[in-house]
Amino acid sequence: MIRLPERLTLDQLDLHYAHLRREGLLLPGQYGPIGRHVSDGDTRLLRLRYDNSPAALRLWDLLLTEEQRLAQWRASGKRLVGAMKDLGTVPVMAYSSDRLVAFYPDGAWWIPCVMEVNQGLLSIADSLGIDESFCPVRAMLGAFVTGAHFPIPDLLVCSVGAACDDFAAIAQRLNGMGLPILWWEMPYRRQAGPSEQAVQLPGGVLAPKVLVDLVRSELGRVRSAFEELAGKPISDQDLANGINKANRVRLLLQGLRRLVFTSVPTPMPALEMLIAEMLAIHFCSDIDQTILVLEAMLAEVEGRVAAKVGYGPLDAVRVFWVNPVADLRVMNLIEECGIRLCGTDLMFTHAIDPIPADLQPMEALARVALADPMVGPMSERAARIAAQVQQLAAEAVVVSRIPGASHCGYEGQVIADIVARRCYVPTIEIEVPPVADSVEATLRTRLQALVETIRSNRPICHTQV
Amino acid sequence: MIKIVLVADDGMQVIAKGCTDQGIDQDRIATSLFATILSQAGLRRSQVRRVVATGYGRARISLADTTITEITCQAVAIHRLLPEARTVIDIGGQDSKIIRLADSGRVFDFVMNDRCAAGTGRFLEVVADRLGVDLVDLGPLAATSREPAVISSMCVVFAETEIIGLLAANRPREDIVAGVQRAIAQRIHGMAGRTMRGPVVFTGGVALVAGMQSALEDALGLQVVIPQEPHMTAAFGAAILARDIQQGGHYFLGGQP
Repeated sequence: MIRLPERLTLDQLDLHYAHLRREGLLLPGQYGPIGRHVSDGDTRLLRLRYDNSPAALRLWDLLLTEEQRLAQWRASGKRLVGAMKDLGTVPVMAYSSDRLVAFYPDGAWWIPCVMEVNQGLLSIADSLGIDESFCPVRAMLGAFVTGAHFPIPDLLVCSVGAACDDFAAIAQRLNGMGLPILWWEMPYRRQAGPSEQAVQLPGGVLAPKVLVDLVRSELGRVRSAFEELAGKPISDQDLANGINKANRVRLLLQGLRRLVFTSVPTPMPALEMLIAEMLAIHFCSDIDQTILVLEAMLAEVEGRVAAKVGYGPLDAVRVFWVNPVADLRVMNLIEECGIRLCGTDLMFTHAIDPIPADLQPMEALARVALADPMVGPMSERAARIAAQVQQLAAEAVVVSRIPGASHCGYEGQVIADIVARRCYVPTIEIEVPPVADSVEATLRTRLQALVETIRSNRPICHTQV
Repeated sequence: MIKIVLVADDGMQVIAKGCTDQGIDQDRIATSLFATILSQAGLRRSQVRRVVATGYGRARISLADTTITEITCQAVAIHRLLPEARTVIDIGGQDSKIIRLADSGRVFDFVMNDRCAAGTGRFLEVVADRLGVDLVDLGPLAATSREPAVISSMCVVFAETEIIGLLAANRPREDIVAGVQRAIAQRIHGMAGRTMRGPVVFTGGVALVAGMQSALEDALGLQVVIPQEPHMTAAFGAAILARDIQQGGHYFLGGQP
């Protein structure tokens, strides 16, 4: 029997947890109620509203117990790899070895949100010269200094070159503090010249073969470092197995996205979808658990779709969302304003597109890495967004700026121009700081104004401006 | 400021209007102003059939039946006043907005600056205070400028430092004011980014400051029109929508209010 979807406060969620536990309905692997993390300092959890499914509960538990899991992995003899900036390729290589576990130190960018800036991570970054003119991912520096949020990895790997300027500066600062980093170069993805061979990348973009060759060579260095760290070779078959497992995650996410973004009413809230999508890049340090959690999420969503139950008004405004938010609370807010998500581009579409399984593993991984939407022309990312806006019948696009992030200074206008030209739907920009309470009124005004705009325009199609 | 506009059932005739300074207790101030306006118009509360609140304080107005954002209210008012308008530039004391209108007069999209005082009326207030000039005298003063100063900073705090430097260098006050007006207009131009379609209408309290209209026209390269009582347009739009909702909510069903 399907439970009716319901948004719960944290207190209600913990009561719900106790009920599910009594009834034996918790999913395997659930460590405890989510509310226990508040006493660890995760006070932002008190302000969020949660989906009531056991699958979503398990998703939150997986997210919030990563630190504990990393300690367990280390105690069990696994070697830890910190994969920085890459957003989706290096972890696949790491998980191809049974002796390595990868995690994503960049994920510390949510700590100032979840802990409501109480841990002083941003202040530590300030003191190291990485101030608020940089992306909130600078919280990672503070996390490395305090050592309180993840263990210092055995190997740090970071892409540079066409990676974002903020992250390069932050990682270089980290390197300068004495933490060795294996750098690998990510070239800027450009069009192939007239005499160059072009290669198709996942997601439909093209790149010169010479760039793919360069990335493959660079990832080869990473592979060698992993083999040295693991103390044993990583064969092509190991990589193929790792790719298959990563593709399982990607296909589950694709299925989840397709159902959640297209079904009416929406069967899973935007907040839980954001958390689920982020699993594609880091697997929360446990790819097998990630697969189990996503399978449970998909099964829950399939059940809700079949039962025609979900959230929000049936005529909620359909919005395509660009970039992750620094404050998770905003994902609740958008639904309170009458918006439902019908698509997302969270800057890592290449981590959701399947990795080609019919190519040599290193070639496939190189193509995926080079398909990163942030390493090519913004117009290519905007074109993909516009195509999805059309395909998903989005009524508007919201570009969520990340304060200090260098790409946010220019991408909004490029996306708005291309979306307006090709799809004739409005694009608005908002800026979401790590704790958005002080700007909630202004965010609400923009989102409500967008809802009013769409609603008042609905019966009038193809109006020209 | 808090503004109130009452419209008649026909949605055309303004029965009464008024405005007063903001304060912390917006609900009390709005309720008091409402009572004053009703009294002046010889109306009873029961004769007002629907109240729409707009603006940032809209959720705190207890006498409101409905809240609608100022983006929508501005668009409705401007379409009523100047149906041919395709862009609204609204500069208030605390924020600025650019609203693009479709041919139907409805909002197509909008951009807002509500995180920074540059490009808002607050910038002018700071300048007036620093120069020891009343706000209402800024415009006439700027009109006498022969060589507007260049204010290079887009931050009000830093711009204030620049102004101190300009005063120390004996730059005439009129040149400084004209320079600040130009800086605000350029900030708005930068916000617009995308192609701006005319006719352009300029609303908000800053539209009442002489010299801002021409500063905007210079920056945008377009003629800019200021409606009557440009600081009241959002309230007027809210009143039109109140009447519309009372009669079935045609605006949000695709009709004209």
